[in-house]
Amino acid sequence: MANTIFKTNKGPFVSLMTGLPGGGKTFLGILLVAALLVPLSNLLLPETSPFHVPTYLVSLMGKYVCFALLALSVDLIWGFAGILSLGHGAFFALGGYAMGMYLMRQIGDRGVYGNPVLPDFMVFLNWTELPWYWYGFDMFPFAMLMVLLVPGVLAFVFGWFAFRSRVTGVYLSIITQAMTYALLLAFFRNDMGFGGNNGLTDFKDLLGFDLQVTGTRLSLFVASVIALGLGYLVCCFITQSKLGRVLVAIRDAESRTRFSGYRVEYYKLFVFVVSAVLAGIAGALYVPQVGIINPSEFSPANSIEVVIWVAVGGRGTLWGAVLGAFLVNWGKSYFTGSFPEAWLYMLGGLFVFTTLFLPKGIVGTSATWIEKLKNRRRESPDIGAPLSVKEE
Amino acid sequence: MLGLRKVAGVITGAAMLATSAFGLGTAQAADDVIKVGVLHSLSGTMAISETTLKDAVLMMVDDLNKNGGLLGKKVEAVVVDPASNWPLFAEKARELIEVDKVDVVFGCWTSVSRKSVLPVFEELNSMLFYPVQYEGEESSRNVFYTGAAPNQQAIPAVEYLMSEEGGNVKRWVLAGTDYVYPRTTNKILESFLKSKGVAEEDIMINYTPFGHSDWQTIVSDIKKFGSEGKKTAVVSTINGDANVPFYKELGNQGIDAADIPVVAFSVGEEELAGLDTAPLVGHLAAWNYFMSVESEENDAFIKQWKAFIGDDKRVTNDPMEATYIGFKMWTQAVEQAGTTDVDAVRQAMYGQKVKNLTGGTAVMNTNHHLSKPVLIGEIQDNGQIETVWRTEDVVVGDAWSDYIPESAKLIADWTYPYVCGGCEKPMY
Amino acid sequence: MRITIKTIIAALLFLLATQASASADLADAAKGLLSKNYSDKILATETIAASGDPRSAFLLEALLGGNLYATKSGNRLVSREKVSDGYQIKDIVTDEDLGVVQSGDLSKIRINNRMRGLIKDLVGRLTLLNEDPALRLKAADSVFKSRPKEMIVPLSDALAAEADSSVAAAMRRALAALNFVHGDTPEAQAEALLILEEQSDPEVKSLLSAEANRLAAIVNPSPEVQEFAARVDRALAKVDEKLAMLGIIENIFQGISLGSVLLLAAIGLAITFGVMGVINMAHGEMVMIGAYTTYVVQELCRNFAPDLLVYSLIAAIPAAFIVAGLCGVAIERSIIRFLYGRPLETLLATWGLSLILQQFVRTIFGPTNKEVSSPEWLSGTLEITGGLALTYNRIAIILFAAAVLFMLLLVLRKTSFGLQMRAVTQNRRMAASMGIRTGWVDAMTFGLGSGVAGMAGVALSQIDNVSPNLGQAYIVDSFMVVVFGGVGNLWGTLVGALSLGVTNKFLEPYTGAVLAKICILVFIILFIQKRPRGLFALKGRAVEN
Repeated sequence: MANTIFKTNKGPFVSLMTGLPGGGKTFLGILLVAALLVPLSNLLLPETSPFHVPTYLVSLMGKYVCFALLALSVDLIWGFAGILSLGHGAFFALGGYAMGMYLMRQIGDRGVYGNPVLPDFMVFLNWTELPWYWYGFDMFPFAMLMVLLVPGVLAFVFGWFAFRSRVTGVYLSIITQAMTYALLLAFFRNDMGFGGNNGLTDFKDLLGFDLQVTGTRLSLFVASVIALGLGYLVCCFITQSKLGRVLVAIRDAESRTRFSGYRVEYYKLFVFVVSAVLAGIAGALYVPQVGIINPSEFSPANSIEVVIWVAVGGRGTLWGAVLGAFLVNWGKSYFTGSFPEAWLYMLGGLFVFTTLFLPKGIVGTSATWIEKLKNRRRESPDIGAPLSVKEE
Repeated sequence: MLGLRKVAGVITGAAMLATSAFGLGTAQAADDVIKVGVLHSLSGTMAISETTLKDAVLMMVDDLNKNGGLLGKKVEAVVVDPASNWPLFAEKARELIEVDKVDVVFGCWTSVSRKSVLPVFEELNSMLFYPVQYEGEESSRNVFYTGAAPNQQAIPAVEYLMSEEGGNVKRWVLAGTDYVYPRTTNKILESFLKSKGVAEEDIMINYTPFGHSDWQTIVSDIKKFGSEGKKTAVVSTINGDANVPFYKELGNQGIDAADIPVVAFSVGEEELAGLDTAPLVGHLAAWNYFMSVESEENDAFIKQWKAFIGDDKRVTNDPMEATYIGFKMWTQAVEQAGTTDVDAVRQAMYGQKVKNLTGGTAVMNTNHHLSKPVLIGEIQDNGQIETVWRTEDVVVGDAWSDYIPESAKLIADWTYPYVCGGCEKPMY
Repeated sequence: MRITIKTIIAALLFLLATQASASADLADAAKGLLSKNYSDKILATETIAASGDPRSAFLLEALLGGNLYATKSGNRLVSREKVSDGYQIKDIVTDEDLGVVQSGDLSKIRINNRMRGLIKDLVGRLTLLNEDPALRLKAADSVFKSRPKEMIVPLSDALAAEADSSVAAAMRRALAALNFVHGDTPEAQAEALLILEEQSDPEVKSLLSAEANRLAAIVNPSPEVQEFAARVDRALAKVDEKLAMLGIIENIFQGISLGSVLLLAAIGLAITFGVMGVINMAHGEMVMIGAYTTYVVQELCRNFAPDLLVYSLIAAIPAAFIVAGLCGVAIERSIIRFLYGRPLETLLATWGLSLILQQFVRTIFGPTNKEVSSPEWLSGTLEITGGLALTYNRIAIILFAAAVLFMLLLVLRKTSFGLQMRAVTQNRRMAASMGIRTGWVDAMTFGLGSGVAGMAGVALSQIDNVSPNLGQAYIVDSFMVVVFGGVGNLWGTLVGALSLGVTNKFLEPYTGAVLAKICILVFIILFIQKRPRGLFALKGRAVEN
C-alpha cells in the first residue's frame, strides 16, 4: 500500500496523510489529543480532580516527548537505513547547547555578577569579551537556525567522510561513539567557553516568557508534541517514498543496492543529516523544559540508551520508537523513585528480556503475534539468521 | 499491520499504567507524618560518595523517631535515586516536592547537581540542605550550605603550609579536576598566593578530566617541578574517582610527604578506605571534621553509625558531619518554629546552634553558611587523618570570596535590610 | 677506617653540640617527645640527635617509622613488636624488655611532615657510615638535597672509606654539590662543576641554573667571573641535554605503560568482540569482577593466611580468570547463544547485563571503593639515573600484558581448542559438519575472553579504583583499541594499544591530558575513514557479513 503514494495526483501532504499506515493516524490522533487535553486539564480542572494533570507531570511528559523525537530520529537511520549511530546524543546535545546559549544570553544582567553581555561563568573565568562563536545567539531566529545547522553540518561532514569511505556496521557505530566521546571531553573543558561540567543553567526566560510559569511550560509541552508530530510526518514521508525503499534496500543488502546503480552514500548521507537535525530540534526543546544542558548529554552511555528505547519499542516501526522512549523513560522515572536500590536490575532485566524474547521490540513482536493469530501458519522465527528486521 | 483499535489499546493501556503509577506517589501527605526527602545518587559515578550520605540521613531519621519524632509526629524519609544524572536530579527534586510533598530535602554532592536543582527549589520555595564542601559564589534563599566554603578549607590549608610549622612552602602546584569547584578554588588560591608574594613561575596549575586514571605524566611533572630547589607543595582539588589512581601513582613514584606534601580538599576517610595508605603517610587533608578527633559527640556518632550500618570497618567523614549538623539544625528549627512551613523554618534557622562533632559549636549564619572550625590533618597508615593543626575558633563561611574582585563586593544576607543572596547594597 | 669513624663522630658531636646548647641525656631529651606540641617535639628531636648517644639513631628511626609509643601508664617511650597475644614492648633507650601489652595501653608518638623532613635529614647524617649500603645511599642523597656546609668534611671522609661504587658515586655527587655551593675557591667550584655536569638530575639543574642566574646578575663582572659563568652555562646545557633525552625515554616508557593498560583492558574484548562478533558491553564488568576477585582473595589471605599476603596478587590471577571466565560461560549459555548473527542486539542485551552486574556488585560489596594493597615487591621505583625512575608496578603491568598476550596467542595457535575456535568463527556450519561441538566452543571462547578480562582486572586493581564503576571507565577505550587495531586480530590489538598509548603520552605535555585524548579520538575517526576495517584488516568474504 505504501507504493501507492506516488501514484496519487493529490498534493504531497494529502497523499502523505492518505499514505500513512493506520497506526500512524492513530498515533497522530493521540498526539493531537494529548496536545489539547493535557493543557486544558492542567488549567481548567481543580487539583483535587482525578483527571487533573499536575504541572510536574506536564514537564515530565514534555521531557519524554523530546526523548521520543530523539528516538524517532535514531529509528529513522537505524530502523530504515541500517546505520546504527551510538553517538546520536551528540546531535541532541548540540541542539540543546544552541538553545541553551540563546537562553543564557537572555539572562542579560540578571546573572549573579550582573554583567550584561557575558554569562556568569565567563565573568568568573576572567574572560573580558564574548568569544566569537557566541555572537548572534541573543537573537532567537539565529539561535533556532543554529539548532538546525550545527547538528546538520556536523552530521553532513561526519557522514560525508564515513559513508564515502564505506565505513559500515560496527565500525561506524564505534566511530560515532568516538565522536560523541570526543565532544564530551571537549565540552567538559572550561576553556571551551561552554560552561564546562556545569554546562548552561539558571535560565530565566524564553522569548520574554518566564520559564517557571505554568503557561510557558504548557506551551513548551505543546510545542514539543507538535514537533514530534511533524517529525513523525517527515519520517513517514521519507520512509514511504521511493527514497525510503532504497534505504531499506541499503539496510538489507548494501552491496547489491550499490551494484544496482544507486549512490548508496548519498542516500545514507541525506537521511543521516535529516536524523541529526531532528535530534537537534529535540535537544532544543528539551533544554528549556529541564533547565540545564551540560556535557553529560554527550556521554556514550546516553546514546546507547536511545538505541535501547528504539529496540524496546520496535526497530523499524516509527511509532514503536516513540513508544519505547516513553516506556523506558517512564520506567526509569518510576523505578528510581519507588525502588531506588533495585531499579538498575529492573532496567537491565528489561533490556535483556526485550532482546531475548521480543527481538523486534514491543510493536514488532505484537504485530507478529497478531499475524500469527490471524493466519496461524507462520514460520518459526529463525534465530541465527543474518540481521534483518522485517517490515510491518 | 496493526489494527487501529489494538494500537489505541496499547497506548491507552500504557498511559493508564503510567497515571496509576504516578498516582501511587500522589497520595496526599498524611497529617501525622513529616517527610524528609533524600536526593543522593545511589547508582552511577557518584554513588561511591553519595550512598553514605543517604545512609547518614536515614540514621538520623531513625534516631529521631526513636526519640519520639518531631513535633509529636513520625518522620519519614523518602529516598529517590537521581543516578548521577544531572537533569534527573531536577526531575527527582520536583517529584519529591510536588508529588511526595516533602518538607525538606537533604541531597546533592556535585556542584552541577546543585545547580540543576536550584531553580526547582526556588520556584517551589522548598528547602535543601547541601552537605558538601563547595566553591562558594552562591547563596540561595532555599539552600543551606553545611559544607565548607573555600575560606573554611583552602585558604587555611595554604596558610598552614606557608607557615614554619607546615614547612615554609614557596612553590605551588594547583592540581584539580576541570570543573567549577577546582577552578574557583584555584582562582581564589592563585590570587591569595600572589597577594602573599608568590611569583607567577612558582605556581603551576593543572586540570584533568573527571575519572582521569593515567597520572604518570602529571606526577612526574610534579616531581620535576618540585625538585628545583624550593620547597614545593601540591594543592589538590582532584575529585572523587580520580584520587585513588593519583595517590597510587604518587606512592609508586615515591613522592614523599616530607619532600612534596600534597594537601587535598576532596579526600577524606571514605576515599582513603579504598587505598593502601602506607606510602601516603604525611600527605595532608583539610576539612572541618576528621574521624580521628576525640570528643564525646564524635565517639557517640561513630558508635551509632557503625551500629546502624552493621559494619565495624565503616568510616565517617566530613560530609557526614555536615549532614549531621544540617539535620540537627533543621529539627531544632522546626521545633522552635512549631511547624515545618519553609518560611517559618528558614527564619528559625538563623543563629541555630549545634555542637560540632570535633568540639566547639557550629552556627548557621544569615548567608546560609555555617561557622565551623577548620582542621588540617596528616594521613596515617591506618587510613585515618590525624589533626596537626586547627583554628582556635570557628571560621565564618563566606559565600562570596574576598579574593575574586567581582565577588568581593557582593554580600549575602537573608535578613533585613539586605534580604539577598548577592547584592552590593541592601534591598531595603 | 677506625680513624675516620672517630673523626666523623667527633665532628658530628662537635657540630651537633653547637646546635643544642646543652647536650642532655638521651632519656631526658626523649621525654620531650611526649608533648602534644610539635615545636616541643622538634626541639626534643634535635636534642636527641645532638646527644651523640649511639641509640639516638635507633630512636629516631623508630620515630620516623611510626614504631615509637608511649605507655599510657608510665609515659615510657617504647617500641613494640606484634606477638600472638598482644604487643611485646621494649624501652627505646635502655632496650629493656617490658613485657606484653595490648594496643590500647599504648599511644603512638605522632609526627608531622616538618619533623619527618628533619628526622630524615638527621638520620641521614647519622647513617653515612652505617653498615647497610642502602642506608648509606639514602644518607648521601639526603645530604645532597639539604646541602649543609658542615657536612663537607664528614662526607669527604665517608667517601674515602666507601667501598660500594654506587654509594660512592652518590657521595661524590653530594660532595660536588656541597663544594659547588659552599666552595671557597673558584678552583674547588670548577672541580665540582666537572662532576656535576655529568649528572642527569633535575636537582643539579636547579642548582646550576640558580648559580647561572646569580652570576648573570653581577654588574661589571671580572673576566674570571665571565669565564666561570660561561662554564656554568655550558654545564647547564649539558645537563639539560641529558634531561631532555631522559624525558623522551620516560615518555616512551609511560606511553608503553599506558598502552599495556589499554592492551590488557582490550585484549579480552578482542576475543569476545573481535573473534566472536559479540558487541560485548559487559566486557568492562568482567574486568571489574576480576578486580573484585583480587580484593576477595586478598581479604581471605589477610584473614586466614597473613603470611601469604604478599603472594595474594599472584594467587588472584588464576582466581580472577576462573571467576570471570565462569561468569562469561554463564552469560554465553544463558543469553549470547540466542543472539548469534545479530551483533547489534548483543549490544543491547550485554548493556542491560552490565547494568545488572554493576548493581549486583554494588549490592554485595557496597558502593565504596575497596582497598587492594600493593605488595612490597610491586611498590617503589627502579632508579636508572637521577632523572629517570621507572615504577615497579608499571614495569610489572607491561610484563604481565606481554605474558597474557603471549599465552593467548599460544592458546589460539597451538592448541586444538584454538583450532576449533578459529574453525567455528570462520565457518560455523562447516565446523559443525566436521564434528566440532560449536556450542561448547562458543561458550569456551566467550569464557576465555571474559577470563582474560578478569585477569586485566587484577592488574587494574593496582592502579585504579576498585569500584562498581571500574569497568565503565575502560569500555569505550577498549572498543577504540580493538576497532583501531582491526577486529579479529590480536596483533592489531597490540599495535593499536601501544601506538595509542605512546601517541597519547607524547601529545600530553603539549596539549594537556584532555586535548590529547580528544586528538586521539579524532585521529581514530579519521583513520577509520582511511582504513575502514582497522589497522590489520581481515581479508576475504567472511568479513563482509
